[in-house]
Amino acid sequence: MTSLLPGTKPPRGVGKARLADKPARLANRRGPVTLEPLAGPGAATSKARERSLLSLRNVDWVLAGSVLALCVIGSLLIASATRQYQLDHHLDAYAYLKKHLLTVGIGAVLAVIVARWDYLLVRAYTPFLYAGSLIGLVAVLVVGATINGARSWIVLPAGFQLQPSELAKLALILGLALILGKPRATGATGAAAIPGARELGQALLLAAIPVGLVMLQPDFGTTMVLIVMVIGMLAVSGAPGRLVSILVAAGVAFGAAIFKFHLLKPYQEARLTNFLHHSGVHTSDTGYNVQQALVANAHGGLFGRGLFMGSQTQGQFVPEQKTDFVFTVAGEELGFVGCAIILLLLGLVLWRTLSIAQHASDRFGTLVCVGVVIWFAIQILINVGMTLGIMPITGLPLPFISYGGSAMFANLVALGMVENVRLRSG
Amino acid sequence: MRRVPSPRSHPRLRINALRMIVFAGLAVLLLRLWSLQVLQHDQYQVKAEDNRVRTVVTPAPRGEIVDDKGNTLAANRTSLVITIDRSVLARQADSGAAVYARLARVLHESPRDLTMKTRLCTKTVGKPCWAGSPYQPIPVATNVASTVALSVIEHPENFPGVAADTKAVRVYPHTTLAAHEIGYTGPVSESQLTGTNGYQASDTVGQAGIEASYDAALRGVSGVKKLAVDRFGRVSSTIASKDPVAGENVVLSLDGGVQNLLEQSLAGALMKAQAHGKAATTASGVVMDWHTGQVIAMASIPTYDPSVFTGGISTKDYAALTSAVSNNPLISRAYQSTSSPGSSFKPVSLSAAVAGGADINGSYSCPSTLPIGNALFHNFEGESGGIINLHEAIVVSCDTIFDQFAYNDWLADGGLRNGTGPYATAQEYFTKMAKSYGFGRATGVDLPVESRGYVTDRAAQQKTYKEMKAIYCKRAATGYPEDPDPAHAALLQQYAREGCIDGNLYNGGAATMFGIGQGQYLSVSPLQMATAYAAIANNGTLYKPRIAKALVSADGKTVKRIAPSIAGKLPVAESTLEYLRQAMMDVTKRGTASGAFAGFPLAQIPIAGKTGTAEVQGQGDTAWFASFSTQYVVVISIPNVGQGGIYAAPVARQIYEGLYGIGQPPLLPSPPTTLPKVIKP
Repeated sequence: MTSLLPGTKPPRGVGKARLADKPARLANRRGPVTLEPLAGPGAATSKARERSLLSLRNVDWVLAGSVLALCVIGSLLIASATRQYQLDHHLDAYAYLKKHLLTVGIGAVLAVIVARWDYLLVRAYTPFLYAGSLIGLVAVLVVGATINGARSWIVLPAGFQLQPSELAKLALILGLALILGKPRATGATGAAAIPGARELGQALLLAAIPVGLVMLQPDFGTTMVLIVMVIGMLAVSGAPGRLVSILVAAGVAFGAAIFKFHLLKPYQEARLTNFLHHSGVHTSDTGYNVQQALVANAHGGLFGRGLFMGSQTQGQFVPEQKTDFVFTVAGEELGFVGCAIILLLLGLVLWRTLSIAQHASDRFGTLVCVGVVIWFAIQILINVGMTLGIMPITGLPLPFISYGGSAMFANLVALGMVENVRLRSG
Repeated sequence: MRRVPSPRSHPRLRINALRMIVFAGLAVLLLRLWSLQVLQHDQYQVKAEDNRVRTVVTPAPRGEIVDDKGNTLAANRTSLVITIDRSVLARQADSGAAVYARLARVLHESPRDLTMKTRLCTKTVGKPCWAGSPYQPIPVATNVASTVALSVIEHPENFPGVAADTKAVRVYPHTTLAAHEIGYTGPVSESQLTGTNGYQASDTVGQAGIEASYDAALRGVSGVKKLAVDRFGRVSSTIASKDPVAGENVVLSLDGGVQNLLEQSLAGALMKAQAHGKAATTASGVVMDWHTGQVIAMASIPTYDPSVFTGGISTKDYAALTSAVSNNPLISRAYQSTSSPGSSFKPVSLSAAVAGGADINGSYSCPSTLPIGNALFHNFEGESGGIINLHEAIVVSCDTIFDQFAYNDWLADGGLRNGTGPYATAQEYFTKMAKSYGFGRATGVDLPVESRGYVTDRAAQQKTYKEMKAIYCKRAATGYPEDPDPAHAALLQQYAREGCIDGNLYNGGAATMFGIGQGQYLSVSPLQMATAYAAIANNGTLYKPRIAKALVSADGKTVKRIAPSIAGKLPVAESTLEYLRQAMMDVTKRGTASGAFAGFPLAQIPIAGKTGTAEVQGQGDTAWFASFSTQYVVVISIPNVGQGGIYAAPVARQIYEGLYGIGQPPLLPSPPTTLPKVIKP
C-alpha cells in the first residue's frame, strides 16, 4: 500500500513559467460575473491550450483510481446491506446494486464531461448553477417529501428522488470560489491579493441564502457542511484571521444557542446528542441506531466476518444501512483492515485534492478544491464517527460509498471539477 | 506594477493547516476503529449474539400430584388465557386505560383489579402484581370462556396488546382438599429468580406446599431452543434445540379418603362447638403412620381453594385470604402454628421425671392444690386424686404430680438463681426431654414454612432477656398507647414491667406449669405432637414426617421411593415407653377420654391417647387429643373451645372409625404397601 501514498512532490508539469502569465490573463476579467464571449479573437488560442492541457497524462490517476476503488467497495457494501432484505421479500437480490452501479456510471460520465469542460465556461455557468440550486432548495420546501423528519427530497416519477441540497453544496463552492478567487487590482499599498471587504460581504450573502434554505428543511448536517465550507474557504482565500475567528465564534455560538434554547425538536436534539452517552440505556430510536452500529462494527474484529457473512448486517439489525450507516457493513464484514483501507482511500482523495489546490493555476481553482475537501472531510468524519459513536447522528452520506443518486452525482461532479482544475494547472 | 507577494504562499500555508486538521480527524477515526473493533471486540461479541439469538423456552409439562391410591390431587389442563402485553398498552395515548376498561367489561371484572394484576411487583408493590418479566404477556384471566376469548380475538382494534392463548394451567380437582399440603403455583418471584434454582422470569413455580417443596421434581426440565433471527424476529435457522423433559409425578402417602374424613370431622366438630356457643373457629389434625413417619392426612380449618392462585390471584381474593376476619386460611394450624399442648404433654413430663430420678413405680400424692411460692397450683377441675402411681396420674391426668416434678427440677437447678451463686450446671430435665421429643425445633417435614414453636430453657431465657430488655423497660414506662383495647394495653404494660425488672430470672411458676404443658415456656404444633407420639408408639424413633413417598417419572418407568427419614432417638428406656403406652391405653378405657371412646371396640382396636386442655390468655381453652393405634397416630387440636376429652377426642374417634371401618367400610386399615400406577401424560 505504501506505493499508493501521495508523494510530496508537486504534480507533474507544474512550472513557474506557466504560472507567471495566468494572473495577467485572468486579470482581464473585471467586475461582476459576465458571460465569457465564446467566440472572439482569444477563443481560438484558448481552445488550443485546452486541448493540450486535456492530455490524459495530466489526469491525477491516483485520485481517480482511489475514487474508483471507493465506488467498487461501496457497491459491494450496498449489495451486502440490501441482499438479504431483497431475498426476504422475494425481490431481485441485487436491485439496489444495479441501481447504484447505474448511478455511478452516470456520475462517472458527468465527471468526465465536467473535467473536460471549458474552464472559463464553468465560471460562466456558476451563477446559473447557483441560481438553479436556490430554485431547487425553494422547491423542496414547497413540494418536497419529508423523510426522517426533514423535507429534503423531491420525489420524481419512476422512483427517483432528488436531493437539491447536494447540488447546493457544489453550487456554493463554485459561487464562493468565483467571488473570493476574483483577481483584483490591489490598492497603492500593494497589499496581498486577498479578498476585500466587498468580496467578503458578497461571499457571506451568497452563502447565507442556501444555508438559510437548508435550515428550513431542516437539515442540520448539510447546514453544518455549508457553514464550515464557507468559513474554511474564507480562511484559505486569505480573509483576515480576525474575521475568520469571528465567524467561527458566531458559528459556535449559534450551535450553542440551538441547544440552549431548545430550538430543535426533541428527537432532533436526541439524535445530535446521543453519541455523548451511547453507553447508557437507549429509549430513543436514534440510541438504538447507534448501539446497533457499534455492535456491528465491533463484531467485525480485525479481519471482518467476510462479505455477505456478517450476522448483524445480514440480520438487518442496523437501520439505514445502505445509506447513512453503510460504513458498518465494512465494519462487520471487512473488519478493521477493510475499514482502514477505506479510510486510507478517502484520505488519498483528500490529500491529492489538497495538493491540486496548492498547485492550481488560479485562486478560483484553489478555492474549488479546498471547498470540495472541506465538504468531503466533514462528511467522512461525521459519517464514520457517527457509526463509531463519537459523532452526532446527522444523516450525512459517506462520499463515494453511500447509496443515493444525488449525493453520488454531486460527489463525482466535484471530482470532475477537481480534475478540471488539475488539468488546467499543468 | 502590481505587487503580488508570493501569490499562493498565504493560501498554501492555510491549506497545509487544513490538511493537518483533516488528517488529524482521520487519525482519530482510525484510533477509535481500533479501540472498538479490536480492543472492545469481545465485549460487543456478546451483544451481537444477544441481537442474533433468541432463546425460546418451552416449559415442561408439570408433574401431577396423586394420593397413595393414585387419585389426582393436582393436574394440568389446557385453558384459554387472556394476556396483556404491557409494552403495547404503554404506547397507547391513554396508557391503555380504554383497553383495560373494555377488557374489564368483557371479563366482568373491575378495570382497577385488572390494572393491579399487571403492576410489576416491587418491594413496595405487593400482590396482586406481576412478578415476571415486563416484556412478557401477563395472564390476567385464566380459564375464560371461548366466547370471551373470541370477542377479544375478533376485535384486535379494540384490544391492542391483548391476546388469547391456550396455556397449561394447574387444576386441583378436589378444590380445598389438602390445600395446605398440596400448596399452589404462581409466577416466579423476584427473590426466587436471584437464587440458584435456574428459574426463568416467565416460569410458573410452586409457591406453597408440595408444589413448592417438590418443585424441582414436578417442573421437569424446560425445553430450550436457540434460534437465529433477524431484526424483525424472522427465524433463519435453529442453532440448538433441547426438548423439554416432563416433570415427575409425586405420589403422596396422604390418603384422599382419610384426608376428606379428617377435614369433614374437624369442620363438623367446629360446627357442633359453635352450636354449643363456643367461639372456636379453627381446628387442625394430623394422621400419621407411626411406623414410618408418613403423613396419612393433615388438615387445618379454615382452608382455601388453591385454584384462586392459578394465573395470578385477584386483589379481592388475596385480601380475603389474608384478612383477620377470614382467620388467615392460608396458614395451616397443623404445622405452621403452635400453642400450649396442655396435658397431652404429660408423657413427655413423665419421661423427664424418670430421667430426673423419679421412681416410675413409685406412688405420689395428687392433691387438689399445690402451694408453690405465693401461688396455688390447682388440679384441673380441682379434684384430688389421693396417693396414686404414675400410671394413674396419666389416666386421670393429675396435674399436681407433674407440677411437683417440674418444680423440683427447677429447685434442683437453683430456682431463680437470684442469689450470689455459684450454681452447679442446670440439669433441666424437663426442657431437655421436651427437645428430645422434637419440640422447639423443625420436624423436617417435606413442606415449606413450618413453625418450630419453642422450648424456653434457662439459656434461652437469658438470650431473650438480653435482646428484649431495652424494649421491655421502654414499654414499661410508655405503655402501649397504640393498642385500642385499654385493658389489653394495661396487661401488656404489666408484662413489660415484669420483663424489665426480673425478665432475666427463670420463672418458677412457668417452670412448674411446663410440667403440665402450660405456661409461657412451651409451644408445640400438632405435627410436632404427632411425631412425638409416633416415637412413643414405635419405641423411640423420632421420624421426620413425610407427605410424599415416591417420585415417578412421567412415563412411569423410573420410580424413586422416598425413604423414611429419622430425626433422632428418644433418650427414654423402652420400659418407660411401654409403661406410657399401657397408661395411655387406659385413658381411652377409663380415663379422660373414656367418654369419647365409649362403645368403641378397644379390645379389637386398642387406642392409646392423652387428652389436653391448654389455657390460653384471653380466650377459651385449646382442646387436644393425641393418640395412636397399632398403625396410626392421630392428633387433634381445637383452640378456643374447651376440654380435650370433650371436643378433641371424639374427632379422633371418628377418624379411627373411618380408618378401621367401624360401622362403615374401612378407609385404610393399613397404608398401601405398593405404589399406585401413575402414568400421566
